[in-house]
Amino acid sequence: MSAELLRVEHVTKSFGHIEALNDVSLSINEGEIVGLVGSNGAGKTTLLRLLAGVYKPSSGAVVLSDGSKVEDARHRLGVVPESTGLYSRLTAWENIRYHSRLYGISDKEAWARTLFFARRLDMEESLSRHTKGFSRGMRQKTALLRALAHAPDILLLDEPTAGLDVTSARTVRSLVHQLGDTGGTVVYSTHQLAEAEAVCSRIIIIHNGEVRADGTPASLLEQTSTANLEEAYVSLTTDKARTRTTSEKPLSKIAGWWQKLSTPKTPGGDESE
Amino acid sequence: MKVSSSFRRITTISKKELVEFARDWRTIFALLIIPLLMFPLLFIIFPLLLASEAAELDAIKVRVVVQSNDFPVGLAEELNGSSIDIIYEPLTLENNLSFPSGEEERLRNASIDAVLRMKENGSVWDYALLYMSTSERSQEARTRTLTVLFEWEENETERRLVDAGLEPDETLHPLNWDGPISNSDVATSGEQAGMVLSLFIPLVLSVWTFSSAIQPSIDMTAGERERGTLEALLGLPCSRNELLFGKWLAVATITGIGVLLQLIGLLFAIGYLATSDFLTIPTLSMVSIVFIGIAVLLFAIMVVAFELALAMRAHSVKEAGSILGPALLLILFPALFTQVINLDGIETFWFSIPVVNVLLALRELLMDRFVIEHIITWILSSGIYAIAAALYAARQFKREDIVTSLS
Repeated sequence: MSAELLRVEHVTKSFGHIEALNDVSLSINEGEIVGLVGSNGAGKTTLLRLLAGVYKPSSGAVVLSDGSKVEDARHRLGVVPESTGLYSRLTAWENIRYHSRLYGISDKEAWARTLFFARRLDMEESLSRHTKGFSRGMRQKTALLRALAHAPDILLLDEPTAGLDVTSARTVRSLVHQLGDTGGTVVYSTHQLAEAEAVCSRIIIIHNGEVRADGTPASLLEQTSTANLEEAYVSLTTDKARTRTTSEKPLSKIAGWWQKLSTPKTPGGDESE
Repeated sequence: MKVSSSFRRITTISKKELVEFARDWRTIFALLIIPLLMFPLLFIIFPLLLASEAAELDAIKVRVVVQSNDFPVGLAEELNGSSIDIIYEPLTLENNLSFPSGEEERLRNASIDAVLRMKENGSVWDYALLYMSTSERSQEARTRTLTVLFEWEENETERRLVDAGLEPDETLHPLNWDGPISNSDVATSGEQAGMVLSLFIPLVLSVWTFSSAIQPSIDMTAGERERGTLEALLGLPCSRNELLFGKWLAVATITGIGVLLQLIGLLFAIGYLATSDFLTIPTLSMVSIVFIGIAVLLFAIMVVAFELALAMRAHSVKEAGSILGPALLLILFPALFTQVINLDGIETFWFSIPVVNVLLALRELLMDRFVIEHIITWILSSGIYAIAAALYAARQFKREDIVTSLS
C-alpha cells in the first residue's frame, strides 16, 4: 500500500450562507491519479482550491503527511487552475520562470525540468513565444509545464482538458499517464466520466458539496451494481438531494428593494403582485 | 534568511509587474511620455494660442452706437482712430443711462457690439456703456471705448487744471514712488517663484500621483482577477502580504517615475520656455528637498495602498474603474481647497487632515518655510494614514472571494 501524502479531515467550506462543501473527508496517496468527478457547481473547484491552500476550511483541516497544514506547504504542490492563469505579455518560459522563482527554484533547475516536459508536450519551440497568441491547448500545456517546473509532490489539475481539441486533450492525458507511471501523484478534476475512467486510478464522485463515492472504477460499479460508470454516477447523485443553503439571512429593506428593482421581469411572468 | 526570501519574492513579483507594464506601449505613453511632455507643450502651445487669439481680436473692427445729443467733437475723432465703427443716434433718455431700455436685442443678436450714451450735465458729462459680457466682440468694444474715454477724460482734466493755473502732474500725483518698485521686495526671484509654484505644484503632484496609479492598480488586481491569473498566483508559496507589497512596489515605482518625469517637464518648461518674470526655478534648500521627498513618499504609500485595496475589492476591471475614477475627487477637492488656505498663522490641526496635510506641507516647503510643529504633525499623521491604508489593503488581499466564489 502506497504512503498517504495528503489528508482532508471533515472539511466544510461555506461562503456566507452558501455551503459549498459539507463534511468532506478523503486522502490522497503517493503515486495515485485521483479523479474528482462531479457536475458543474458540485464543489470540485472549491475542493481543489482547499487542497491548493487558496481557501481555508470553515471547519476541518487539510494536512500533509508530515502534519503540516496545506497553506504552509504550498511549495509541495503544483496547481493548474481551469483558467490556466498565464500572463499574455510574458513568454511561456517567463511565465514558468516567474512561478519557479516564487517557489524558490533556481532558473537553471526550472529550465532543465521545463525542457524535459516541453519535449514530451511538443512545446520546446514555443517556450520563447509570448503567450498572447497561444491556442487554448498551448496555454494548457504551458500551465502544466509551469506547475511541474518545481517538481511538486502533488499535481492539482482543474478541468485540464476543458475546451481543448482532441489532439491537445490526448497530449495532456498522455502526460498525466506518464506522470502516474513514474510515481507522480495527480488530482484531476473533470466532469467527464469517460475521461476520469481513462486517466484515473481512483475516482471520487462529488455532488452537492458531498463525497458520494470514492474508489477504483471497478469498485464503484460493484458498489452501485451498475454496468457502466455513467449509470453508477446517476445512481449515486440522484438520491439524497441536500439543500446547500444554510440559514439564509433575510434581506434588509433597502437590499430587498434594490434586488426587486434590478431583477428584470420575466416575459409572461406573474406581474399581479 | 526568512526575511531575505520574503524580500526576494516581493522583488520577483514587483519585477514581473514592471516587465509586463513596460511591454505595453499604450500604458508607457499614457503614464510616462505624456507627463514628461505635458508642461513643455503647454508652455509652448498656450502662449502661441493666446497671441493668436489676441491678434485675431485686434484685427476686428467693432460697431459702437453713440447715443448723444451733444457728443464732444474731440472724443468722436479719438473713437474713430481706434478701429471702432461709430453709428450716431439721438439720445432719448433723460435719466438712468445704464438701463438697456430696448437695446438688449441689438446687443444679443450682435448687430452692434456696444452702446455709448453720453449727455452734458453742467460742467461734467454723464455716460454709460451698454455691452454683453458673454460676447468677446462686445467685451472688446467696451475695452476700446473705455480706453478712449479715459484718455479723453485725462486730457480734459489736464486742460481744466492748466486753465485754472495749476500744474497737472503735481496736482494729480502729489505722492510719488522713488526708484524701481521691483527693488523694494526683499524676497528673491527664487523665493517668489517658490510661492507661485506652491499654488499649483502640490495640486499637480497629488492629482497625478492618484491618477497615474489608477491604471496599474486596476491591472494588477481586478485585471488579474478578471483574466484568471490571480488564482494561480494565490496557490504559490508566497503570502498575501508579499503579494500586496510586490504589487505596491511596482505601482509606486510606475507612479514615482511618472510624477518625477512630470516635475522634470515642468521645471524644464519653467526654466527654458516660460516668458514670465515671476515664473522661474524656485530656490530650495536641501532640507526642503528632503522633506518634499518624504511628503510625496508618505502620500504615495497611502494613495497606492488605498487604490490597490479598492481595486482588489472590485470583481472586474470595469467595476474597479467605476470606483477609482470618482475616487479622484477625494484628492481633487482637498487639493483645490488647500490652494486658498492662508499659510500665515495657520493652525496646526490643518496639518493632521488627510490629503490636506501633505498638500499644505508641500506648499510650506516650496516656500522654504520650516515650522517644527507643522512638520511633526504632518509626518506623524501621514505615517498613520499610510499605515492605515496599508492595513486596509492587506485586509482586502486576504479576502477569500478575490479568487471567485462557488465552483
